[in-house]
Amino acid sequence: MKKRLAAFITGALLLAASGLAAGAEGPALSGWVRSHTGLLLSADPGYAVLQNAFSLSFEQKSDRLAFKVNPFARLDLDQPLEIGLREAYLDLYFDSLQLRIGQQQIIWGKGEGVFITDVVSPKDLRSFILPDFTEVRLGIPALRADYYLGGSTFELVLVPLFVPSRSPEPGSLWYLAPSFPVPPTLHPAVEPAAELENGEIFARWSWLGAALDFELMGGLMWDDEPALHLARTIDSGTGQVTAIDVQPRYHRLALAGGSFSTTLAGAVLRAEGAFYSGKRLATTAPTDADGLVEKNYLHYLAGLDFSLAGLQLSAQLVQRVILDYEEPIVQDRFDTTATLRVSDTLLRDTLRLELFAYLGLNDWDALLRPKLSWAAADGLEISAGADLFLGDEGTFGRFDGNDQAYLKAKVSF
Amino acid sequence: MKRFSLSAAFFAAIAVFSLSAQEPSGLEIMQKVYERPTGGDLVSDLTMTLTNSRGDTRERKLRQFRKEFKDGERKIMFFLAPADVKDTSFMSWSWNAEGKDDEQWIYLPALKRVKRISSDSKSDSFMGSDFTYDDLGERHPSEDTHRRIGTETVEGETVYLVESVPREPGSLYSRTVSWVVKDKWVGLKKEFFDPKDRHLKTLTVKKYDRVDGFWVLLEFEMENVQKEHRTTMRIANVAIDRGVEDELFTERMMMRGAR
Repeated sequence: MKKRLAAFITGALLLAASGLAAGAEGPALSGWVRSHTGLLLSADPGYAVLQNAFSLSFEQKSDRLAFKVNPFARLDLDQPLEIGLREAYLDLYFDSLQLRIGQQQIIWGKGEGVFITDVVSPKDLRSFILPDFTEVRLGIPALRADYYLGGSTFELVLVPLFVPSRSPEPGSLWYLAPSFPVPPTLHPAVEPAAELENGEIFARWSWLGAALDFELMGGLMWDDEPALHLARTIDSGTGQVTAIDVQPRYHRLALAGGSFSTTLAGAVLRAEGAFYSGKRLATTAPTDADGLVEKNYLHYLAGLDFSLAGLQLSAQLVQRVILDYEEPIVQDRFDTTATLRVSDTLLRDTLRLELFAYLGLNDWDALLRPKLSWAAADGLEISAGADLFLGDEGTFGRFDGNDQAYLKAKVSF
Repeated sequence: MKRFSLSAAFFAAIAVFSLSAQEPSGLEIMQKVYERPTGGDLVSDLTMTLTNSRGDTRERKLRQFRKEFKDGERKIMFFLAPADVKDTSFMSWSWNAEGKDDEQWIYLPALKRVKRISSDSKSDSFMGSDFTYDDLGERHPSEDTHRRIGTETVEGETVYLVESVPREPGSLYSRTVSWVVKDKWVGLKKEFFDPKDRHLKTLTVKKYDRVDGFWVLLEFEMENVQKEHRTTMRIANVAIDRGVEDELFTERMMMRGAR
C-alpha cells in the first residue's frame, strides 16, 4: 500500500514536473557523490563504515509552482544497494499560502543535535545519530500548508501514513538487544494500519522578528519508537520467569511545545521545550502485566551561541523529566545531557576545525566528534574525524566499543 | 548589514590641497556618505572572486536584494554557486537607531532551518572573502570619531581624506582612512589598520556609475596587504526602485530561495 502510494506520488510529481518544465526555464540539477570509510578503533579493528552514496536533486521553480525530486542511492559494506527518494514534492504558491504535497523532510525547533519539537520527520537511526542530519531525517508523505500573515507563519501538516523511525538491525554495530532474565521471543513490530484515521497531524505558529524568533507547535502523532509489550510465563512452583514474549507496538503520542531564539549581548540565546502525553515507558513493577506504564514527560533545552577568542561556540543543556514518576520505571526521572560545539575556520574558510560533544550527565558518558574539513576545491570537500564514545553505560557509553575514525570525500555538483 | 554595495570607501591620490575653513569636517563628510541617497530598493547580481597569494582563484555568485524600511534597511542574499553553498541564504536587518546591532539570519539547506546568527560574528570573514560581515555593513558615523586629514584631486575631482577612529575599545580596526569624492559623497578607497595600527587591508573601488539616478559601486576589491590575498566583487544587473516587496525579507523567502 505504502509503496503504491509512493509510486503514485512520484508519478504525479514527475507529471507535474514535466508540465512545469514545459513552461519555465531549464530545471536545476544538483547533487553530490560521497565516499565514506570508517575504521573501528577497538582492539578488534575492522570497517565501521564502507559506504558510497549518491544524491541527486532535480528542481524547478516558477512564480506559482515548484517541484523537487531528490533520489538517492547508497551502497554499504555487506548490504544490498539501497535506492530511495529522500524528497519528492510539489509546491503551489498563492499570495499568502503555500502548499507542499509529497515526500518531504520537515524540520522544526531551535535545538541542535537534539529532537524535542523536531518530531515530524521520523529518523533513520541505523547508524545511531552519526550521519549528517539530512540523512538522519526520513522523508514522509505529507500535505503541508503554510499561511503567511506579516512576520507570522501558520503551518498545518497532515501525514496520511505513519512512517516509523528506522532502528539498527541485529548484527549491526548499533543494535542493542533488549535485556531480559531469560532469552526473549521477539516478534515483528505491529505498525498502525495504513488508514487515514491512523494519520498524524501537526500545527505550528512561528514568528521571525527583530527582537525574537519563536515557534509554538502541537501534534497528534505516533511514537516513532515502538513500546515493547511483554508477556511473561511464570513457573507457578518457583515463581521464576521461564519465557518472555516481546511484542513491539506503536502508540499514539500527543505533544505541545515551542522554541525561541534572541540576541543577548552579542550572543544568541535559544530555548526549546515540549510536553509529551502518552509515552509508554518500560517498568519493572510486577503489577504491570505488559512491562509498560503510560506517563507524560517534559523535554527542554537552553542554549547559547557566542564567539570567544575567535572561536565559534555553541552550548546547550538538555533535560527530560518524567512526570508522576514511579520508582520501577527503568529510565531515570531526570535525564540531563549537555552539548558543546567549538569550531573555527582557517585558510579563508577552506579549512574548518570542529568539535561537537554530547555529555551525558546521568551516567557520565559522552560522545566526542572532532572533525577537520578541507574544501580542497569548489565542490570538493575532504573531511577526517572521529566518533569517540566514553563511559560504560548510558546513551553514549553503551557504544564504548564503537569508537571510530573516518575519512570522507564529497563532490558536489 | 548595510549598503555595502553603495557605501564602502575609495581611491588614489594625485595632488594635495591646503585645507580651507569652508571645507566640511570629517564628521560632516562621513554623515553625507551615510545619508547619500541609494534608492528605496535595489536588486543586483554579485560575483565574488577570491584570489590567494599564489594567484589561485575561487568564485562565488549571489543574488542580492535590499530595501529601505521606515526603521532601517533589510537585505537578503541568495547563494547561487558553487554547488556546495547553493541555496544558502543570508538576511540582515539594520536599524536607523544609533548603536542598535543588526539582526542576522542564515538559512543552510543542509539543515533546512533558518538560524539567527550571533552579532559577535561580525568580525568573521564573509564566505571566506577578505570582507568581514562588518565590512559589508554601513557603519553609523556616530560609532567613530572623524577627522579630515587632507584633500586631494583624483581625475579632476576633489577628494577628502577622513580618518575614523572607533569610539569603543576592542574594535576590529584601530582606525580607517577613507577617500570621499566631494559632492558625490562616494568613497573611492578605504584603508584599514589592525589593532596594532599596522596597515591591514585596502578597499579600492575600480568602477562606479549612475544607475537609475543613483551612484552605485560596480566593481571593488578588498586586498589584505598582510596576507597578500584579495577579493574582488563585481555587481551586475542592477535595478533600483523597482518595487521590491516587503515580504521578500522573511524566513519564508530565505527557505524558498532566489527568484
